Amino acid sequence: MINEVTNVVLEVMPRFEGYVYPNEAAPQPLWSVLIVLYPYITGLVAGAFIMASLVRVFKVKALDPVYRLSLLTAFAFLLCAPLPLLFHLGHPERCFEVMMTPHLTSPMAIFGFVYAWYLMAVLLLELWFDYRQDFVEWSQNESGFRGILYRAFTLGVTDESEKAVALDLKLGWIISIIGIPSAFLLHGYVGFIFGSVKANPWWGNPLMPIIFILSAMVSGIALCVLNYMVLTWVRRHRLDMRCLDAMCMFLFYALVIDAAVEGLDWIHRIYSAEETFQTLRQLATEKLFWTLNIGQALLGTATPLLLLGTLQLIRKRVPDLARKRMYFASASLILLGVLAMRWNVVIGGQLFSKSLRGFMSYKMEPWGMEGWLMSGILLALPFIILTVMVKLFLAERLQESGHVPQAEEIEEAVEV
Amino acid sequence: MRRFLNMPPQIFRLILLVVGIVVVYSTARYFLTPHSFRQYGWYRGEALAELATRDRVFAGKKACEECHSDEYQKLQKYEHKTLSCEGCHGPLQGHVDNPEDARLKPDKNNAMPCLRCHEANPSRPKWHKQIVVRTHYSGSSKCTECHVPHAPSEVP
Amino acid sequence: MNDLSPTHLESATATTRTPVQTIRRSGAHLTRRSVLAKIGATLAGVLAAPAVRTAKAAVQKVFVSSGAPKGYDPTKHKWVMALDVNRCIGCGLCAEACKKENHVPEGHYFRTWIERYVITKPKPGSGASRGETLVDCPNGGMHGFGEPPVPKEDILHSFFVPKLCNLCEHSPCVQVCPVGATFDAPDGAVLIDPKYCIGCGFCVQACPYGCRFLNPVTKTAEKCTLCYHRITRGLKPACVEVCPTQTRVFGDLKNAGPEDPIQQFYQNNRVQALKPHLGTEPRVFYAGIDKEVR
Repeated sequence: MINEVTNVVLEVMPRFEGYVYPNEAAPQPLWSVLIVLYPYITGLVAGAFIMASLVRVFKVKALDPVYRLSLLTAFAFLLCAPLPLLFHLGHPERCFEVMMTPHLTSPMAIFGFVYAWYLMAVLLLELWFDYRQDFVEWSQNESGFRGILYRAFTLGVTDESEKAVALDLKLGWIISIIGIPSAFLLHGYVGFIFGSVKANPWWGNPLMPIIFILSAMVSGIALCVLNYMVLTWVRRHRLDMRCLDAMCMFLFYALVIDAAVEGLDWIHRIYSAEETFQTLRQLATEKLFWTLNIGQALLGTATPLLLLGTLQLIRKRVPDLARKRMYFASASLILLGVLAMRWNVVIGGQLFSKSLRGFMSYKMEPWGMEGWLMSGILLALPFIILTVMVKLFLAERLQESGHVPQAEEIEEAVEV
Repeated sequence: MRRFLNMPPQIFRLILLVVGIVVVYSTARYFLTPHSFRQYGWYRGEALAELATRDRVFAGKKACEECHSDEYQKLQKYEHKTLSCEGCHGPLQGHVDNPEDARLKPDKNNAMPCLRCHEANPSRPKWHKQIVVRTHYSGSSKCTECHVPHAPSEVP
Repeated sequence: MNDLSPTHLESATATTRTPVQTIRRSGAHLTRRSVLAKIGATLAGVLAAPAVRTAKAAVQKVFVSSGAPKGYDPTKHKWVMALDVNRCIGCGLCAEACKKENHVPEGHYFRTWIERYVITKPKPGSGASRGETLVDCPNGGMHGFGEPPVPKEDILHSFFVPKLCNLCEHSPCVQVCPVGATFDAPDGAVLIDPKYCIGCGFCVQACPYGCRFLNPVTKTAEKCTLCYHRITRGLKPACVEVCPTQTRVFGDLKNAGPEDPIQQFYQNNRVQALKPHLGTEPRVFYAGIDKEVR
């Protein structure tokens, strides 16, 4: 309505319904799809690393074939993890400030250090200890650029004696043990970034870091399943069904725990029905209907639970091919479901007003820094890097030293 | 010292790397932290001064009193004494800085419409004088034909 | 380890030169001890430098850069604003003045705004005490408000509520800034350093009152600064300056006498803060708001 005399124009804002604080009526939510991708990618890193540590620390022999692939997966994804954050910052050229003057009351401030620690002290070190002996051999056998590369990666430590190799294994084992809480920290702090925001009732609760860690583990294991299946299919090898069965068993149980904790969050919210519940219920049933109820819950959690759970019960009676297809379908659905979960948390938290009186909307653009194209590129990039790494470090023609990662004999072999 | 160098080469190399990284980080931190950081707290102390040196757009009522004391005194006698000059006449720091510049002088005939505050609206408190335009006076559309903004009680 | 094989030692020395050997080869007469001592001293100096700088800077509390209000000591003031909602007529002059004074970008970005609350009458026979509450804020209230969303007869009660940064004692926005770009100034204002902000937006998410936004031009966070450039010179914030009804009460708690408007406000009113359950301890108090105001 326009008041003729004072010319007051009531602006019609189609982007929201109800009442939202004026600063919330922005065309795009502040933390858009790039901030959805970051927890997704770091979650995959943490999960893939947990898969590798199952082999090294918990000595699950069945998972041997997938050990190096898991580590390389974690590495490739970790390299790409800061990219969405960097692209999202208003001033990416000032990003170094986080490490120069980190404000220690902020969970975001520890990103620089946790990332650097995880990359250097955990992942690179574990990879180095596992690969060092192979690097020494490959540097002698390969020529040209690859030979130089392998020689550089040995860091000049070319001792291949039993004692040195045994030391490698022992140190790798220690790093793995340190790596498990580090992986939890790497992804747990992301969950805490959301969990610490008391201003937002969708985010700010103590279960958030735990839910993030659990869904990260689930997504990481699913990614390793997919990578393993794709790699063996590309190379036309026989799939090690024992390995695959073991991986999917862990996947199933991780998914059960994850679903249970997420379910607990919901049950508690519905039961206690606090002031914010009406708004959140509308958020979940209307604004997030497709991504939450269909994407995350039905397709991403319930269906894989059903598939994997059935296989746990009647695995022996299901032929190999059918099992492979069910595993592939479950892993793919889980990966999509966890991406939907990140979307529901990040975007969902910004679709309702903090005044609890209104809702905003989000329409993704195809172009631009925060569009479909950029998201596609950022999701594809780790796979491209992984392909290069597989060619360099997991090539079929390269003979591996064959040492088992578990290093059961190390206690008798050497004292440091 | 001999024992120090006798450690396994892996560990020796790695310790060298760690020391190198720490040195690089400490040096970078020394050079890249702004010098006024931590002057008052975990922020650049200079920022306070920088924020305080922005230009003003509104001059403030006291600035008007210096040259326009007649209007000011008149205003202060009646109900509009709580109003500021710039609320109706717009921001005038430019005019205060250059009183002679004709472009920066406020236009008396183009002040804030009276109805901005006085139009009847059910959300306005009851103690505030409000009028419904259609029923107030149909003779003319200019409020100033009958009312004096600086002295509202002087209604004839 | 004291049983290294000779081959191991050989390969170690062949491929690496210890720092001492390198220096000797370059001709300088340095012993291992002196080199290590020099390295240690440099490291200690580099790590201790920030502490020394803090100690020196702590002595200079007064603004010293040119152009800044000379002699203004931020530790000697404690600015605060209070809002007497009973007096607000929803003219929107405050929101408009703020936009102009602080060059806030065009569009739906506001450092301060006014909300209109319209509480409708309950449906007859329903037994409810009140109908629904409708809140609106056309363009931040910058151009005033038009007709209410429901006809006058359906309105039980209606009022305006100006909103701004709540000057929290335990600001969640300051808590979550990863780099120290937003901070509690010693004189009570919560400010943002636009030269240091990286534009991550965490503070915008953390503010429960929605008073922050990301400036689309500077790509840094922005919010009400209490017109810091005015109050440090003894002027009032622009919104307080133009408010015609003394809704916005501004004062310096460290230098306010008993007749000061701010003291009178606290003395004469029962006050409320917004979202007290979050523990942010807002210092901006409201007199005369309703339970529906969030």
